[in-house]
Amino acid sequence: MGWWDSLLNWLRSLFFKQEMELSLIGLQNAGKTSLVNVIATGGYCEDMIPTVGFNMRKLTKGNVTIKLWDLGGQPRFRSMWERYCRAVSAIVYVVDAADHDNLPTSRSELHDLLSKPSLSGIPLLVLGNKIDKPETLSKQGFTDEMGLRSIVDREVCCFMISCKNSTNIDSVIQWLVKHSKSTN
Amino acid sequence: MAQPFVKKDDDLDEEEEYSPFYGIEKGAVLQEARVFHDPQLDARRCSQVITKLLYLLNQGETFTKVEATEVFFAVTKLFQSKDTVLRRMVYLMIKELSPSADEVIIVTSSLMKDMNSKTDMYRANAIRVLCRITDSTLLTQIERYLKQAIVDKNPVVASAALVSGVHLLQTNSEIVKRWSNEVQEAVQSRAALVQFHALALLHQIRQNDRLAVSKLVTSLTKGSVRSPLAQCLLIRYTSQVIRESSMNTQAGERPFFDYLESCLRHKSEMVVFEAARAITELSGVTSRELTPAITVLQLFLSSSKPVLRFAAIRTLNKVASTHPLAVTNCNIDMESLISDQNRSIATLAITTLLKTGNESSVDRLMKQITNFMSDIADEFKIVVVEAIRSLCLKFPLKYRSMMNFLSNILREEGGFDYKKAIVDSIVILIRDIPDAKEIGLFHLCEFIEDCEFTYLSTQILHFLGNEGPKTSDPSKYIRYIYNRVILENATVRASAVSTLAKFGAMVDSLKPRIFVLLRRCLFDSDDEVRDRATLYLNTLESDASVGGTDEDVKDFLFGPLDVPLVNLETSLRNYEASDIPFDINSVPKEVKSQPLAEKKAPGKKAIGLGAPPSGPTSVVDAYEKLLSSIPEFSSFGKLFKSCSPMELTEPETEYAVNVVKHIFDGHVVFQYNCTNTIPEQLLEKVTVFVDASEAEEFSEVLTKPLQSLPYDSPGQTFVAFEKPEGVPAIGKFSNLLKFVVKEVDPATGEADEEGVEDEYQLEDLEIVAADYMLKVGVSNFKNAWENLDPDNERIDEYGLGVKESLAETVSAVIDILGMQPCEGTEVVPNNSRSHTCLLSGIFIGNVKVLVRVSFGIDGSKQVAMKLAVRSEDPDVSEKIHEIVAEG
Repeated sequence: MGWWDSLLNWLRSLFFKQEMELSLIGLQNAGKTSLVNVIATGGYCEDMIPTVGFNMRKLTKGNVTIKLWDLGGQPRFRSMWERYCRAVSAIVYVVDAADHDNLPTSRSELHDLLSKPSLSGIPLLVLGNKIDKPETLSKQGFTDEMGLRSIVDREVCCFMISCKNSTNIDSVIQWLVKHSKSTN
Repeated sequence: MAQPFVKKDDDLDEEEEYSPFYGIEKGAVLQEARVFHDPQLDARRCSQVITKLLYLLNQGETFTKVEATEVFFAVTKLFQSKDTVLRRMVYLMIKELSPSADEVIIVTSSLMKDMNSKTDMYRANAIRVLCRITDSTLLTQIERYLKQAIVDKNPVVASAALVSGVHLLQTNSEIVKRWSNEVQEAVQSRAALVQFHALALLHQIRQNDRLAVSKLVTSLTKGSVRSPLAQCLLIRYTSQVIRESSMNTQAGERPFFDYLESCLRHKSEMVVFEAARAITELSGVTSRELTPAITVLQLFLSSSKPVLRFAAIRTLNKVASTHPLAVTNCNIDMESLISDQNRSIATLAITTLLKTGNESSVDRLMKQITNFMSDIADEFKIVVVEAIRSLCLKFPLKYRSMMNFLSNILREEGGFDYKKAIVDSIVILIRDIPDAKEIGLFHLCEFIEDCEFTYLSTQILHFLGNEGPKTSDPSKYIRYIYNRVILENATVRASAVSTLAKFGAMVDSLKPRIFVLLRRCLFDSDDEVRDRATLYLNTLESDASVGGTDEDVKDFLFGPLDVPLVNLETSLRNYEASDIPFDINSVPKEVKSQPLAEKKAPGKKAIGLGAPPSGPTSVVDAYEKLLSSIPEFSSFGKLFKSCSPMELTEPETEYAVNVVKHIFDGHVVFQYNCTNTIPEQLLEKVTVFVDASEAEEFSEVLTKPLQSLPYDSPGQTFVAFEKPEGVPAIGKFSNLLKFVVKEVDPATGEADEEGVEDEYQLEDLEIVAADYMLKVGVSNFKNAWENLDPDNERIDEYGLGVKESLAETVSAVIDILGMQPCEGTEVVPNNSRSHTCLLSGIFIGNVKVLVRVSFGIDGSKQVAMKLAVRSEDPDVSEKIHEIVAEG
């Protein structure tokens, strides 16, 4: 049955090829570029250099081609996030869930961004990264800290993940693939 | 005349209609730029839009900040496309938009990725863009990649990195200097362009280290440079090294000359030309060194490529100014270029020929030019006219043929500037060559008979009024002048009336007949013409009692106005009609913008009609007026000579001071022109304290202080000295500027009440023998020489010791004597062993002096000089020898 399934998938991808565009944002050192690498290749690397500007990646998952704008998280880039979030299928916001000190900043940056009229209605996926670390918040605590419940004007979803151990990466991909359909 | 221009416009229109960019608009293109946001990118269409944007930017269209930012971020999204053509356009667009530093940083990561891409085109262009937008912190991050790129196998990538290095050197020299090893490796590259760029960068890295540059040149001239472009650079660096080393070492073989000479045999024309030019520009080049260079340039003259012909003739033109004899070999080739299709080449050829020509070839050349003049544009004609003018001054004996030439072209079609250039030239020739006066005036008279330019007509009439009465037969000009009264417009008629009056005032025999003509003018339809005629009639008729004596009347009518016109104009504007008549004595006499006028003045030859009236040059005239307006100096008699201004301060200092030495028979006046360059200061009671302890024969008689010297408005202070009458006393004076300085509030412009005394050291000035000599040329030296009494001749010989070159010695002697070289004898033919120079001048006391100096140089560069002086006064002849003996 396995090959039958994959054949069907392949046929489907020929006829129902779909595209989606994503913006990947969040404070520096949250693990955005690592996430891209994990989704694209499954590989993880401890030594990453900060992204100066943005990386543009194209991935194919199943019958979906994903365009990914992986943006730098340093303060000097934050004002430019909005320009790369306009008209995307979904905004992916990555947070270092083990870095308690920076959570308030992360929260305010997120809410500032979402208040921009040009981004209204765009689905939001918030990812609490680095759950392999012991000091990580629980999902409940994380959701509260980030004030996700106050966001009502769009679809919001939250996953706790670990790029290092590839925890929950599958669910992220599934969520993304599911949202690609809404764009076409 | 207008025909060709119209046609040109038509061509242009047609071209634009076919242009894909015809009529594109910024607003529309910015709309089109939305395609950059399409989810499905159309790379071809995006490229087209970027092309349009680039076109707009290059046409000088400006984008507002918002527009530029919007376009920039849209363009960054195009990094998602893998289309190489589009990527290239993206690079261009980023460079061209060059958005602010905090925005442009967004593309850094993408560019760094491209810099390490497998596509060579990406690598090369990303390097260029990245280096353009980078700052020093980022540069240290990418330095590693750049070093690699310099030695990249692909020449395009290597060149990109090297060129970026050249740009970065301006801002981050420390980092670029660390790349020396890689750059040196790139110099050995096989790729021509890489070698060229690497050499340029290496030289720039080392440019401040003279020894390192010299080493670089030494090692490379041994022959590892293959690229012609790099070879050209190397030739330039080599001549730089030669220039610098020749300052240190006096004699001996010129270093690297063999290399330059070997480049003359290079297979690339570019290198050959570069080498030839470098040789001709060597300082103190000998004719043995010049010959091979001139030979290759001569070959280029007959090349089929216009660019080579142009380059060669341009270089030869320059050489001809300094070494006319070296270029004469090319005369035949240059003559054939006179008919060259390219007019720039033709004009350069003609002017070069005029420089190299000797007296005997002038006639033939003039004939050639006559054929050629009709088919060149006005601007080139002006160049030719100017060349003719200087040629005529060089060979005054040939004035007849050149005057004829000028009068011929004056009769032909031509625009105002061209005609003015011709008229100016004729006026200058009349002034400098007394023999040419009558014939020149005659040509001008012919010209105004049919002259469409009012300005030129009035100027010529004015000039005629000054010069005509002094000729042998003034009456023959009257007809031409009176014709103007009958035929021309009011402006010309009015000046013709003035000219008539001048003839009447100065030539008594003509007076009655002139009066008849002037009376006819009383019925003219124009006010001004009638007014002038009335004025002249009433004042000049001797029995009329308007003026005092005859002299007074002439002075009143034709004497110079002793107030500056600008001041008079302001005073008249301020004058309100009332019962009090306008008093001309109330007009200030100080010349406000004196230094400005002086700065413009050095182009003496160009003055021409601008100010021909009373003095030989307008500058002297202005000085004379200025000095005569100061009562204290009126007893000094007639001004003999004013020297050109000499700076007493370094440029860019707080106070700029220059001095003009005015020589009188028994006095010397120093005119200090001071400028205050500090806005916060007002200077008062400005004087110059002169210490004349090293000038025993001079004694100070008076000082005229400058009451106030505000910021940036020049003023003058004077110091006068008495000296023995008619004696060329010399001496050295030290100067100290003294003044009271007051603070000025820059906001209100008001000065403080209290001032502080201060002083400012100026440089010394000297009165030298040359200051007593007026440069006055003679047209025929031989005649003039023979006309002077041989008994007054004094001959002596001098050994001058070892000198660098003959030419240098000749110009030094001319400077010491301050005399006018005649018949072009100041130019020493290259490498000649002997030379005779003819000089003329007028010594203080109005004594005409002629000097014939013969120089000889021997193998050990010992120079000997034989000086023969003839003058109207044997004592003066003696004195000239004294000057030389002391100098």
